[in-house]
Amino acid sequence: MAVCELKHVTKSYGTGPARVDAVKDISLSIDSGEFTVFKGPSGSGKTTLLNMVGCLDTPTEGDVIVKDRSVKDLSSRALSRLRASTIGFVFQSFNLMPVLTALENVELALQLAGLKEDTREPAAKLLSEVGLEGFERRRPNQLSGGQQQRVAIARALVKHPALIIADEPTANLDTTNGAQVLDIMQALNETHGITFLFSSHDPRMIERGRRIVSLTDGVVSSDERRDSSGGAG
Amino acid sequence: MIIPRLARRNLFRCPRRVILSMVAIVVGIGVFILGEGLVSGVTENLKVSSIESMNSHVLIRPPDYPEGIQHPVDELLEIDEEVRRVLDEETVAWTERIIFSPTAAAGPDHVRARAIGYDPVRDPEVFSRALWQVTAEKPDAEQNEVLLTTGVADLLNLSVGDTLILRVRTHLGAMNALRVSVSGIVETGFHNIDSMGILMSLSLAQRLIDADNPTHIGTRLESRDDSEPFAARISELLGDRAEVQTWQEDVQDLMGIQNIRRRALQIISAILLALAGVGMANTILMSAYERVREVGTLRSMGMTKQGVTGLFVFEGLIIGIVGSILGALWGGGLAAHWAVNPIDFGDLIDVWGEDLAFSALVYTRFSMGTVLFGVGFGIVVSMLASIFPARVAASMPPAEAVRAE
Repeated sequence: MAVCELKHVTKSYGTGPARVDAVKDISLSIDSGEFTVFKGPSGSGKTTLLNMVGCLDTPTEGDVIVKDRSVKDLSSRALSRLRASTIGFVFQSFNLMPVLTALENVELALQLAGLKEDTREPAAKLLSEVGLEGFERRRPNQLSGGQQQRVAIARALVKHPALIIADEPTANLDTTNGAQVLDIMQALNETHGITFLFSSHDPRMIERGRRIVSLTDGVVSSDERRDSSGGAG
Repeated sequence: MIIPRLARRNLFRCPRRVILSMVAIVVGIGVFILGEGLVSGVTENLKVSSIESMNSHVLIRPPDYPEGIQHPVDELLEIDEEVRRVLDEETVAWTERIIFSPTAAAGPDHVRARAIGYDPVRDPEVFSRALWQVTAEKPDAEQNEVLLTTGVADLLNLSVGDTLILRVRTHLGAMNALRVSVSGIVETGFHNIDSMGILMSLSLAQRLIDADNPTHIGTRLESRDDSEPFAARISELLGDRAEVQTWQEDVQDLMGIQNIRRRALQIISAILLALAGVGMANTILMSAYERVREVGTLRSMGMTKQGVTGLFVFEGLIIGIVGSILGALWGGGLAAHWAVNPIDFGDLIDVWGEDLAFSALVYTRFSMGTVLFGVGFGIVVSMLASIFPARVAASMPPAEAVRAE
């Protein structure tokens, strides 16, 4: 079942002769449980595409369908609700709230998703699941980069979203921490069936993807599915 | 709830900036509350001083009586039985006074004074002696004794037991002079009397002006608010034989000036609060621009534009509420303190003029309504000032904001 579909999506910036197409006429379908990586050089349109899948941005042309809902005609408020209930984000720079503890950062996601009470227990459980038991009361500046990214993963995951979007999630991490974060994401995908969609130009990370979508100059140049052993499917 | 906690903690990220914004609110609210208390206190002082020094609730005096320090005795009051009956029945107390302007001489020094001859029994029932500070007993008319106010005593360098000569133009225009002795020095608390007053019994004043009738009748009513209907009634009875003046008419010009002062204070307070509001808007706007990525992240997590607006307005509200409460504590605290412990404006009053009916001791008026209005106004200004920067934050495109540096 498709979690997200892109239908002839184009995203342009500027008008007239200054118009630049960041993404051109892309059609894709992301199924539930996929572990998909968008690869490509800088400026190939990976982030633009993830923004549209994540309902942070809307296409200039075409449509994005998330959980059977077309985002084309949704209001800003409805898009916010869709993001709150359906999509989790993991960012390259972690993007944690610096004034909140690790636990509060995770709880915040639950509260924004509409859960007003009993947010502490599920948040603590998720932190434990990503290996941060005992770090709940620490603020982001008291955590390493890898630990911060694990908090970000817990935050994205805690509301049980249909889709987690991670834009270059290991770009700010060293090799060891990057690998650990990827291990966690992969384990969550395999054990809980959570759909991950992430971008990278790091070959070690791309290797982990079970579907690899290559982007070049805003168009899909290849879409390769691989089996769990790493071979082409 | 995490979101209020987030707002509260965000304020402590740049405490100096927040404190500066808060101080502006504190000053604005404090000046407003204290200023209102002071203006109200001065206004009340003017009213009470008029009533308790010279005018009483309703003053009856000869027609076309001049304002100022001239006190002619050419025309005296003729009060018939009907008027006396009304005064007896419709006032709490009334009293006769002879007010005239003798020249007081002691050695080579002399001064034009304001003499008040009063009924020692009835006068205190109309004109309060609560603020009087007197060094000796009541003056004895038989012994030609007078009370000198501090102003005259200082000018003529006289003290208790000394004598002075009062030169007076009598009711019929002849000159009269009498050597009187000082039985005491008095400070009535009202500048228009203390600066140039000589107080004596009514009978001594009658002898000096060579007439029995009074120049003034003062009245005390149940309530000072009853003065206008009572004045209308007395005026109707007396016709053009006398002039009837309420305390409101006496202070009318000063009240006009007070209203201008109050309005000026309100404008100054509004300007201060507007400046505080601009400072607050700047604080929230800077905070918004420093937290672009956080705003983007909140939006990516599902916070609506309204939610982001609410978050920043809430931060502004915290500054406004704390600032307004501190301002109310400061301004209201001082207003409440001076409402019990008066401020002494004695030195200032000497500069204002000797005929000003005003007590040197000014009690501020503490009003809980003013405090609550001030706090509410401060909060509303803070909220309004936060809306624009909050909307700027809310309108940041989330796709760009989440990756802002």
